[in-house]
Amino acid sequence: MTTIRIIAADLAALGLLALGAGHPGMRWWLSPLLLFVLLATGELWLRVLIPEAVAPVARIGIDAVCGLVSLPLVTLVLHLLAVPVRAGPTVAGLALLAAVLGGGALRRERSGRAPDDPRLARTLAAIAIPAVVTLIVGGSAAIAYVRLPHPPQPGFTSLALGGWAAGIGHPVTFPRRGLEVPVEVRSSGRPGAVARLRVSVGDRPAGAPREVPVEANTTRSFTVHVPSPLTGCLTRIEISVGGASTVFYGRGPAAC
Amino acid sequence: MTLIAPTPVRSETTEPRVEPKRDRSSLWCALSLTVAGVAGAVALVAADRAAEWGRGRPFELFWLGMLVFTLPAAYWAGRRATASRLRLAVLIAYASFSYLPKLLRNPTGPLYHDEFAHWRQSRQILFDGRLFETNPIVRVIGDFPGLHSLVASVSSLTGFSVWHAALAVLIASHVLLVLGVAVLAQEIWRDGRIAAIAALIYGLNSSFLFFDTQFGYESLAITLWVWALVGVFRAVRSPRMAGLALLLTLATVVTHHLTALGLLATMLIIAVVLTVSRHPRAWVAWGLALGAAAMTTGWLLWVAPKTASYLDPYLGRALNQFAAMFADNGESGRTLFKQSIAPWWEQKTAFAAQICALVLVAAAAVNFWKQGFFKRGEREPAALAMLVLGACYFPAAVLILTPSGAEGARRSWAFSYLGIALVVAPLAVRLLDRWAAKAAVALLTVFAIVLVGNTAAGMNPSYRFPGPPVYGSDTRAMTPEVVAASQWLRATQGRDLRIVADRYSGLIFGSFGGQEPVTGSVTFPTYDVYLAQPGKPVSPQLIAQLSGWRFSYLVVDRRMAREVPEIQIYFENNEPIAHNGKPGFTIGQLAKFDRMPWTIKIYDSGDIAIYRFDFSVLK
Repeated sequence: MTTIRIIAADLAALGLLALGAGHPGMRWWLSPLLLFVLLATGELWLRVLIPEAVAPVARIGIDAVCGLVSLPLVTLVLHLLAVPVRAGPTVAGLALLAAVLGGGALRRERSGRAPDDPRLARTLAAIAIPAVVTLIVGGSAAIAYVRLPHPPQPGFTSLALGGWAAGIGHPVTFPRRGLEVPVEVRSSGRPGAVARLRVSVGDRPAGAPREVPVEANTTRSFTVHVPSPLTGCLTRIEISVGGASTVFYGRGPAAC
Repeated sequence: MTLIAPTPVRSETTEPRVEPKRDRSSLWCALSLTVAGVAGAVALVAADRAAEWGRGRPFELFWLGMLVFTLPAAYWAGRRATASRLRLAVLIAYASFSYLPKLLRNPTGPLYHDEFAHWRQSRQILFDGRLFETNPIVRVIGDFPGLHSLVASVSSLTGFSVWHAALAVLIASHVLLVLGVAVLAQEIWRDGRIAAIAALIYGLNSSFLFFDTQFGYESLAITLWVWALVGVFRAVRSPRMAGLALLLTLATVVTHHLTALGLLATMLIIAVVLTVSRHPRAWVAWGLALGAAAMTTGWLLWVAPKTASYLDPYLGRALNQFAAMFADNGESGRTLFKQSIAPWWEQKTAFAAQICALVLVAAAAVNFWKQGFFKRGEREPAALAMLVLGACYFPAAVLILTPSGAEGARRSWAFSYLGIALVVAPLAVRLLDRWAAKAAVALLTVFAIVLVGNTAAGMNPSYRFPGPPVYGSDTRAMTPEVVAASQWLRATQGRDLRIVADRYSGLIFGSFGGQEPVTGSVTFPTYDVYLAQPGKPVSPQLIAQLSGWRFSYLVVDRRMAREVPEIQIYFENNEPIAHNGKPGFTIGQLAKFDRMPWTIKIYDSGDIAIYRFDFSVLK
């Protein structure tokens, strides 16, 4: 293939890549397109760097390796130019690289170009066919493995401060009537159960424990009434559901 | 052929088309390998299922799956009558199939310790579009953005997730590694059969199946290293082609520190051997080595200055431990396979594999000498350089006996095994030519032993097989509970928070949670927060550090008080915690945070608790 055609095909593929990038529905089309772009860019590298005939296997390998390293090199240049590494700038960088390499290759070819190797297509097939067959076999095995049942993972029940309470960063100043503290209880991998909800203010329980249902594999949010500490001294507040607890500190409205 | 027969160097364009007369061997090869591949894949899946359910024979199934494909593949690749394109197809199939064990180990997301760090780094580039961001899990990897920028670019251009983009890059890299070894062998030996066998032998190294296939920068760098050497040998033949070697050297330097140093060392070996052999273009090798030295030094000095302090302790400790081993008659050394659950036959083959390698390299060296190989010629210095590289395997193997040197020794094998592969392959072909059937059986037997042994020596069973959660294991410590806690923190408090954690929680909070965990060091001993006895104050200096550096959360894993970590580490290698078979903490040490006014417990799930620091209470 002539260098001009490779440059044209590379730039056309990059254009399509730029149009489709970011559309998740098109990813199965974009992948072979990117593969083509990288191989074409790698071929341009090769035409610039190796001014002689190269055996098909080595040629395909060098194309692929040089194509792969083109992406990090383009992103490094983007970084030096303080341009964020995103799809658009990367495509533009690859296009510029293709143009520069293509120019270099064309200049080098003024003194003659190595003839195309007729074995290239068959060598490419000898690489592509086993790669695709193994990909199908290996991919199927991996998908089957993922979908087969696996041993259950250990379950847990968690209790977390929720809503405004999740942001408690300092001792809370309580109003005289107490506070409604939002909490979140999550159960995962455990059967449904009934747990005891306890609230302690200081060292004393604030009322009798009450039972709350904890359903299997659900997250439940509710508020817990916490009475105000008796004094304005720093007081430990603990809310527990079953074996899990949260702890924060507060001060009552009275003087310490 | 003989090794030193003065055959003229053939131009690649005139490579003879020695196609065997049309027969059905291609069809038989395709059929047999497809059937073997399917059977192998089924056995590998069965092995992983046996391991995760804790029943059956995972090790036996695993090796059945591997050998049922690799032995026929080796047969077809080494067979004299196999056509060159068929041999190439077999190599590609072998390379692709040999990625399957790692793919099955964690098909859906990161699992190995370093994979979390690289996954996070790639995602960070995808989200923020910035390179060289600091990574809290492995602090130097941000300075080597080759792999991460590649994966992030593939992800952003195709729409695939970071993990799937990484898999595509890693599979391509793995296949190119095998192809690169074959091309390199072809450069040196000008024989497709030797090239194929060299690639298969390289696949026996201990890093090939599980380490250099992980989502880590070395997995890409090792491929670049091999292709850079292809460039070096081409440049030595024709200096006008030095550009390829320089491009790939630069790519290697940008991707991984140790591989860049390995490439430099390999280039120096080549340059020295060419000089000693009075090769007319030794200066090219010196020039390329100089270029590699300049790139590596420049990068390490100006872009990645933290690398030296990151690598230095490993080497220093290894040498100290090595010296200590001599001083105390080996008592301070490692006991290989101590507490390993690997079956006895894997452990025995691990030792046998080293003996096989030694015997084969010695035989290759004797063969070189007997054939008058030190005579001046085009190929001989290159092969001799590979012999020197291969010989480096054995001194490194001794380092495996030291706790700190073991990691480095294992990593060096991926380099030195290339030398072994390239010098043993012609010997294997010579044996096959002389005693076809007997040699084939013997070589396939050695192939199987070395494959099993090296893999057993290179990776712990917990890296190779799934299983129940194990506290303190790099691959099995992740539980839904830890993941849920990290997700809760990110969802309710945001990401990039500075948190104090242990090694295992830190991995998950730093990756899936998107936080900035610190797991302690000599200069910032955050483990002292956990070690403080109930009722005793935490060091004011440490509190000042935590407060000054805006650390806002503390993660406590209560399993630290109940269980002993599998890899004998709670936080980091130098932690001041005794590992005597008992947990390093008491429940009181971990529960004390429930009663300290400067730690607000905002989340609790039984084993995992998250506290918010409130240093203002201490003032």
